[in-house]
Amino acid sequence: MAIPIKYNARNLVNRKVSTGMTVLVICLVVTVFLFVLALWQGVNRTLSVNASTRNVLTMRVGSQAEMQSVVTRDAYEMIRALPGIERNAKGEPLVSPELLTLINIPRQDGKSSNVQIRGVGPVGFEMRPGVRIVDGRIMNPGTNEAIVSKNLATRFAGMGIGDRIKSGAFRWIIVGHFDGSGSAYESEIWVDAKDLQAQSKRPIFSSVFVRASDPDAAARYIETVKGDQRLKLEGKTEKKYYEEQMVTGAPIKVLAILVGVFTAIGASFGAMNTMYAQVSARTREIGTLRAIGFSRRSVLASFILEALLLCVAGGIAGTTLAFILFNLILTKPTGTMNFRTFSEVLFNFRLTPPLIAGGIAFSLAMGVFGGFFPAWRASRLKITTALREV
Amino acid sequence: MKFFNLVWRNVFRKKTRTVLTTGSIVLVLVLIVVLTCLLQAMEQDPSGNRGSNRLVVQHATGLANFLPLSQRQRIEQIPGVVAVSPQIWFGGVYRDDKPENFFGQLSCDPEIFFTKLFDDATIDPAIEKEFRATQNSFVAGQSLVNKFHWKKGEHIMLRGTYIPVTLDLVFVGAYRSGDESNAFFHNEYLNQAKWFGANRVTGIYYLKVADAADLPRVTSTIDKMFENSDAPTKTLTEKQFQASFMEMMGNIKGLIRWISLIILFAVTLIVANTVAMSARERVTEISVMRTLGFRPGHILGFILSEAVLMSLLGGLLGVVLAKYLFVPGMVKGMATTPMAPFLINFKVTGSVLLAAFLISVGVGVLAGFVPAIRSSRIRIVDGLRQVV
Repeated sequence: MAIPIKYNARNLVNRKVSTGMTVLVICLVVTVFLFVLALWQGVNRTLSVNASTRNVLTMRVGSQAEMQSVVTRDAYEMIRALPGIERNAKGEPLVSPELLTLINIPRQDGKSSNVQIRGVGPVGFEMRPGVRIVDGRIMNPGTNEAIVSKNLATRFAGMGIGDRIKSGAFRWIIVGHFDGSGSAYESEIWVDAKDLQAQSKRPIFSSVFVRASDPDAAARYIETVKGDQRLKLEGKTEKKYYEEQMVTGAPIKVLAILVGVFTAIGASFGAMNTMYAQVSARTREIGTLRAIGFSRRSVLASFILEALLLCVAGGIAGTTLAFILFNLILTKPTGTMNFRTFSEVLFNFRLTPPLIAGGIAFSLAMGVFGGFFPAWRASRLKITTALREV
Repeated sequence: MKFFNLVWRNVFRKKTRTVLTTGSIVLVLVLIVVLTCLLQAMEQDPSGNRGSNRLVVQHATGLANFLPLSQRQRIEQIPGVVAVSPQIWFGGVYRDDKPENFFGQLSCDPEIFFTKLFDDATIDPAIEKEFRATQNSFVAGQSLVNKFHWKKGEHIMLRGTYIPVTLDLVFVGAYRSGDESNAFFHNEYLNQAKWFGANRVTGIYYLKVADAADLPRVTSTIDKMFENSDAPTKTLTEKQFQASFMEMMGNIKGLIRWISLIILFAVTLIVANTVAMSARERVTEISVMRTLGFRPGHILGFILSEAVLMSLLGGLLGVVLAKYLFVPGMVKGMATTPMAPFLINFKVTGSVLLAAFLISVGVGVLAGFVPAIRSSRIRIVDGLRQVV
């Protein structure tokens, strides 16, 4: 027969300070773990969400980032004539030549960071239905107008509509805010491609985006570009391009694993200590339980259960704390360096349901590990000696 | 000190408990040492925190833009400037596109680079001479050399990314400094590869100023000089320049700090809980000691030293493990991961060891404080009457 769970619950409540401290330790450990994982999820989502398998970037062979690539006007004209490219209502091929450069601008916290400026044309918007103006209007060509993502506006200084961006020789006036549906474009400033060519004195493009009619056509297009000796370019789907940049999240992933493993073992040592102390303080009780007929297995199960209760309480508290943290306090986007582009990639913390489940499972694991050995000791006690104990 | 034996025995009277508590301190200390060293590795100050009087001139718009080489002469003429080297970040692909094979590749003016500019780096004069004399040669930081096992005379191929040329460089030797993650080669060699900016532009200017007091003046002179030109500049101290990359890492640095603090708080709670448990179990014993004539101050001292001793033991073990097992292990284990380029400067430094020592004492004091005061305040009669 199993020992009633009430016995464990009351025992936990009875020693408030010790239980409270252990629960707090587990809670903190779970919060930290979820925090780091949510960060990692945030980066990866930014680099994967809305990345299309039909949009193909065409860049110079060997370029790891758009900014490193150079595509000439002639090459652009040749690309426009290639087969497999979707056309819009006006019958134009969906080919968007784009120029990228970095500018260093101040953040709201007073420090400064590199941000990518993307020069696009109207076709660029047509190809990316995920990018929508939410405030103000789209920029007009030839006027040095810019639009910035609404995420960027909350992180960088002077990004309101009507504000001017001044950096080196660059002068832009902000006329709108856009929403990029959580994609990497939310880390960028968008201007007209010709304006950017003029201001940066570079009459070239960085990359040419092509919208293929379907993923197969995209694959054929990539083959065609590869085989074309005149171009010396290579194609990559948007999805693959951003997947390659996920290396940005690698340090955070390592951090998550390090922090998770070390703190979990540390905290379960703490829980184990508490449980050992309980077993020795309740030796007589255990003897009594055994004497009135509860089996060794019941005692073992009971103590493991008690450790689980202790840790899950911490797990639930930690998950709740993380939830509150992400939804009420850390709502602004945060940023880290994208090592491929040397610019800042913005992202939001993401506490997904699998992560919540992970947090609880994490605390359960600590409970099992921390509870097993003390429970084993409890179940192995000799009834006669246990009852004699003072 | 005469009571050391008593404290020592008390620490080890419940072996499992001590092992577990010490274990959690060890784990946390290892984690904190590793995290702090990671942060330091990413900050990579070439002068190794000694300060260098060096400035970096970059395009005001950011690193992606080039500066005309004509600026060099004008910067050199500014009083107080010792040496100026144009440098280009080549960013080429070594071996294959795997991120772990990425390392810093910079061109420089070899005539002045190690003698006048990067003069706090240690380099064998024979190597330096050979580097100057051989146009297609390169030198690299010792850590970087250890990673790739380059031998003298070995050729490496670097396939350019944004500069579309492939360089064939020959290794002449290593240098040592605070930042050993870079390789340096000749500006002239890159120019001969006939890339689009050859003999015309550079990425940055790296320069040395004779006197630290002159840094602000030189900085503003340079920036004013080119303010209204085609290529306005932004001059930073070497430290600011490195920090600008760290700033882009953004909240990661603050994040690691916060995580460390929270974990330390958690481990303090664990230790406090243990000390409190063992003090509670010893109420009768403490009362007997008081009856024998030990003062409350003695009891306070005993319990507090137990906590400090335990966390010091844990801290010591943690630091040793981190220095000799985890840090080398991580460098080795992650040699083929995208993390590898960050780990070039990853090592445990003296300042981290000192911090770890202070942290463990701090944890012990904080954790032992409350239980120690409580135990010292027990009234003898109550203590003796209490059944544990």
